[in-house]
Amino acid sequence: MIIEDVIEFVAGLSTGQILAYFWPFFLLDMTRYLFLDFIVIIRYVPKRIFEHGRYMRARRQLYRERPLVSVIVPGKNEGKHIPRLAESLKHQTYKNIELVVVDDGSDDDTATICRELEKQGKIQCFIRNEVRGGKASAANTAFRYSKGKYVVHIDADSHLALDAVETILLPFYKDSNIGAVGGDVRVANTGKSLATQLQAIEYFKSISTGRTISSELGILRIIAGAHGAFRRDVLERLYGWDVGPGLDGDITLKIRKLGFRVVHEPMAICYTNVPETFRRLAKQRFRWDRSMVRFRVRKHRDILLPSAGFNFANFIASAENIFFNLVLDAKWWIYFVQIVVFNPSVLEYIFIINYLLYFMANVLEFVVACVLLHASLRLKDYALALFLPLVPLYTGMYLRTVRTYAYIMEFMHGASYLDKWNPWKVSRVVKKEKL
Amino acid sequence: MRQPYYIQPSGSTMTCAGTQVVTQKEISTVDSNNVAYWLIDMRIWTEGWELLCEIRRNLSPAIYLKPVVFLIDSDEIPVEIIKASEGNITRSSCDVRILEEWASRVEPINQWIEHLPNVRVGSDSNIAFKVLRIITSRNAELEPITTVRRNSGYVYPLLEPLFGKRDTGVLETLSFLESQHLINGRFISRAHFCGHCGSAFLNFKEACPQCNADDIDSDELVHHFKCAYTAEISDFRKGDHLVCPKCERELKHIGVDYDKPSIVYHCNQCSYTFQDPKIMTSCYNCGRDSEPEHQQVKTIHAYSVTAIGQNAADYGLEALFTNILDAELNLFSEQAFQDFFHVETARIARYKLSTSSLVMIRFHDLDKLYIKLGAKAREVFYELSMIFKTVLRQSDVITARNETIFFVIMTETSAEHATRAVERLQGGVQALFESNLDFKPEMSVKIEGMHAELDIDATLESFLKDDH
Repeated sequence: MIIEDVIEFVAGLSTGQILAYFWPFFLLDMTRYLFLDFIVIIRYVPKRIFEHGRYMRARRQLYRERPLVSVIVPGKNEGKHIPRLAESLKHQTYKNIELVVVDDGSDDDTATICRELEKQGKIQCFIRNEVRGGKASAANTAFRYSKGKYVVHIDADSHLALDAVETILLPFYKDSNIGAVGGDVRVANTGKSLATQLQAIEYFKSISTGRTISSELGILRIIAGAHGAFRRDVLERLYGWDVGPGLDGDITLKIRKLGFRVVHEPMAICYTNVPETFRRLAKQRFRWDRSMVRFRVRKHRDILLPSAGFNFANFIASAENIFFNLVLDAKWWIYFVQIVVFNPSVLEYIFIINYLLYFMANVLEFVVACVLLHASLRLKDYALALFLPLVPLYTGMYLRTVRTYAYIMEFMHGASYLDKWNPWKVSRVVKKEKL
Repeated sequence: MRQPYYIQPSGSTMTCAGTQVVTQKEISTVDSNNVAYWLIDMRIWTEGWELLCEIRRNLSPAIYLKPVVFLIDSDEIPVEIIKASEGNITRSSCDVRILEEWASRVEPINQWIEHLPNVRVGSDSNIAFKVLRIITSRNAELEPITTVRRNSGYVYPLLEPLFGKRDTGVLETLSFLESQHLINGRFISRAHFCGHCGSAFLNFKEACPQCNADDIDSDELVHHFKCAYTAEISDFRKGDHLVCPKCERELKHIGVDYDKPSIVYHCNQCSYTFQDPKIMTSCYNCGRDSEPEHQQVKTIHAYSVTAIGQNAADYGLEALFTNILDAELNLFSEQAFQDFFHVETARIARYKLSTSSLVMIRFHDLDKLYIKLGAKAREVFYELSMIFKTVLRQSDVITARNETIFFVIMTETSAEHATRAVERLQGGVQALFESNLDFKPEMSVKIEGMHAELDIDATLESFLKDDH
């Protein structure tokens, strides 16, 4: 009955009315996400095939040089994950790897586990900081004691696909101006809960496809802390990471400012554990979203301003992110008010049609991700399609609410400075220094 | 009234007022009953020490047990030498009054020596027995002192002259006496000794866990809060100040703008970086390097004599119950007993035709019995061993764990028959003591049928635990 009503409602709409009722989808989201997705289909996928020879040459060069690669893993209370990570490194196709683990003041048995792995030769260097200093300080400690020409930063609760290290290094041998390469991050604990299933779809969309597109357009603005490779000389010029949260996006922008390219390599796969409940997920996203305000709007504001070092690609990378995430976050609340105030009689039709539009967009985006990643997908990844009907609710309502709350809290209260993610001694200093 | 005897150093004609003067050769001819103590001149302390060793190594209890006092000039004599005597008198203060004062101070020792049977004609050739008598006669706890002049690191000064330089023999002898319940140990310290040569002089050093080299350096890590830069403190040093190489800010107050989260070691041989250095020991005597867990750890005790020990010191080790039992029943050594035990359990498991029993016997308050019996102990224990001999058969195997705990393997004897035999033994023991003495020693007994899974140590442990 209601479906017939919806069809009748749509049939009666003029083009102007369609735009008036559904402008967020047709004018913004369809353009931003769906059309750009097809760049992957029509440009990136064929290019990848044609560049096979270049990849092979890069691979030969890598194995001829055979540089030491340092995999650095900073973390607190992550000991239980380290044996699996060490095992995944042992079986890498690329063999000249050292594993450097920094225990950032754990109060569990992380140190015992890691010391044992160090004795077994599965960890080449283990440093325990008795006093917690935060993620950036732990990463910098690991970097200080790593010796590799390339440094791969991964999260402790992650493990790598067998060829991940080799694959993430290849872009460095294709283009000497590349300073950092972002690896693909997939969800390791997909089947654990509804929250992890939805995040798995989201990671396909926003990381695997989204970052490949950004990389293709030259505007990649983040290399995930969970899986990123850096040239040692570049990190040395920057003296490592700055205080987080959001230190991965921060260092990516700093590398771009130095004039290096940053790219995403979707075939270098890292599987990471994501929050299993919506409550924990909200906490994680609250932290991530606040860092957008803190780093892009505050710390790296200079990218947006005309100056001697102005770079258009860097400007777009930052501006696009601020516009689509921060500015357009407000559009939903404007749109919501518009519909409720001016069109309350057709509210339910508009909701249903929007839901269908975004559902179809998600289906198409999922198809694009499957085309892009088909060589590395498993059966259970395809089965995620069953959850696509729930994705508009997840991204459109749940994540948006968390994001809006995070932006407000950061703008009004500088909430990221109070985040327990950093120790209080650090937060106090960076807040005082307005970093 | 006993008098001090001044022993003339060889080749000298020196005397000491208020003392009888004897030469070294005349010591054995002196009537020991008149000797309050031997006064040894320590003008040349090495010669004085040799003279003390000569006295203590004499086999006559009337000579070696006598108190010794040193006559000294300086305080340059090593402390373990000084403490090997009963005391010392400085030459400048030596007068008749002091000499007499010392005579009365050591009189209890002389009285104890006098009460020994056959003291003048006896000859103590057993070193363990000499040690026991020395400790008992001084009626004080025997305490070790630390020294750098002996490999063992610890010496028992009073016993040193008995043994000369065979200092490990001292510890072994004391350990034997303790195992026989003749002396009791009180914990003093736990010490590491070289697993190869027994030296106590070990250098504990930090080494690289990868290559074992001790050429390692350590440095503190510094974390600058503002920029998260973390590196070794040497990276931050700029003259007398600490300056962050990343943001070029000066570090001012630890805990406010920076902290030191840990310490990192570097090996200068293999370039390995680590935080958990390996601990290695290096022996100063034999030069061997090894890990601490491969070195010997010994407990150092102070010792005092038990009641059993006092009785043995009076009447000889042969008056001990185990010695009498050994003479009458031919006790097996612990090792031989263990070997037989394994053969017997294997035999029973293999043929499944016969049963044998393991009997554990423990006498309580045997030390009180020693005190009560005094010189009669030997006769009573002889009677006791006769009861054992009557009850046990020639095919039974008996061993003593110490003076109070005995194991018997009763071959081809079921637990039931073993119980009957033990009842006869208990009856005999009870009858012996009740009829002759107003004393009733308590005996605990446990009987186990022997089988392949029987563990002798675990059984003993459970027996002692239950008995406790």
